[in-house]
Amino acid sequence: MTINHHPDIATLMAFSAGTLDEPFAAVVATHLAMSEGGRESLRHMNSIGGALLNDEPAADLSDRALSRLMDALDNDDRIEVAQPATAGDDGLPLPLRSYLPGGLDSVRWKWTGPGVGTADLAWSQDGKSRLMLLRVAAGRRVPEHGHGGQELTLILQGAYSDRFGRFAKGDLADHDEDVEHQPIAEPGEDCICLVAVDAKLTFQGRLMRALQPLFGL
Amino acid sequence: MYALAMTETIIGRISVPVETDDPSSLLLRVAEHRDKAALAALFSHFGPRIKSMMMKLGSSDALAEDLVQETFVSVWRKAAMYSQQRGAPSTWIFTIARNLRIDQLRRQSNKPYEDLESLELASDAPSGSSLVEQNQVIERVTLALKSLPVEQQEVVRLSFVQDMPHAQIAESIGIPLGTVKSRLRLAYERLRPLLEDLQ
Repeated sequence: MTINHHPDIATLMAFSAGTLDEPFAAVVATHLAMSEGGRESLRHMNSIGGALLNDEPAADLSDRALSRLMDALDNDDRIEVAQPATAGDDGLPLPLRSYLPGGLDSVRWKWTGPGVGTADLAWSQDGKSRLMLLRVAAGRRVPEHGHGGQELTLILQGAYSDRFGRFAKGDLADHDEDVEHQPIAEPGEDCICLVAVDAKLTFQGRLMRALQPLFGL
Repeated sequence: MYALAMTETIIGRISVPVETDDPSSLLLRVAEHRDKAALAALFSHFGPRIKSMMMKLGSSDALAEDLVQETFVSVWRKAAMYSQQRGAPSTWIFTIARNLRIDQLRRQSNKPYEDLESLELASDAPSGSSLVEQNQVIERVTLALKSLPVEQQEVVRLSFVQDMPHAQIAESIGIPLGTVKSRLRLAYERLRPLLEDLQ
């Protein structure tokens, strides 16, 4: 798998700092699971956190803090070792598997337009962003839309093209609110994407505006 | 900065040699020998720094103390994973504290970070640089962070230390979201050559 489209540096920094909402963190983690180069960039960013911790002033711990820790360890024999990350039968990247225990085949698609289906997977704590799957039938187009906020789209299967290029399995499209685009799925296989959006998408054109409530986007 | 002077303040039931040791060796001793004195030495160095970070993101004194405790219980349990993965101890401990913060404060239902870490371990990514080199890189990054323009340092710290999402940073310092992101990108471009030394 050759990955040509990566998250924005600022997005990866937010992932490293731990400040992304769950839908966005889930998309970035799933992308990184598919991208060795992306994981290397993440290791670099984590070092920023390490350097900042290193440089942090020492706050006073309570007098009992160390004995409390030692007491806790006396009763703690747990040793955590890495779980072998074997690919499941479903072939899904590990971070996505907990959201889709039954695999892609078990997804109940909601019809949201001609050739387009969606399925919700999770919401952020405050409900402002959501994680969902988007399926575009081979050769069909997603209605042209802009974004009321950031949108991350990770291709899990198939491919699409828009004015930013061709996006295939493992590629991540990281769009800001001022971006408008109209992805067209390639012929052959349906294109399935994992998407995090943090506000309503805005569709262009009268028909699509009329359809928007149907999309529930 | 990394030298840890072990003190005799540690409770009596563990015999504590008074020595100076680097955090990597201490972590390896925890992993290989379940060495509580080594964990105590790591605690006395990193515990107060983690508490300081937790206080900055608005947790109460009691919650910050709890998160420090949980961080070191995790260090104790996961030390074997460190011995596989290596890297700078401060970075490894930062990621453990970050993951706990996400669990405790953001209450996310799944564990994308842990899932990624187990992939990292499974992929056996070769670590080209020695621990000494990794620690030197951290020292250099620490200095480089201080040499960034003040407005770049500010957004990096608000993000990594104070746990603020970019939109919140924009609001709190009164600049557009796009400016927050471009400052972060500029900061990263400045740090990138140092960070990429760290393979």
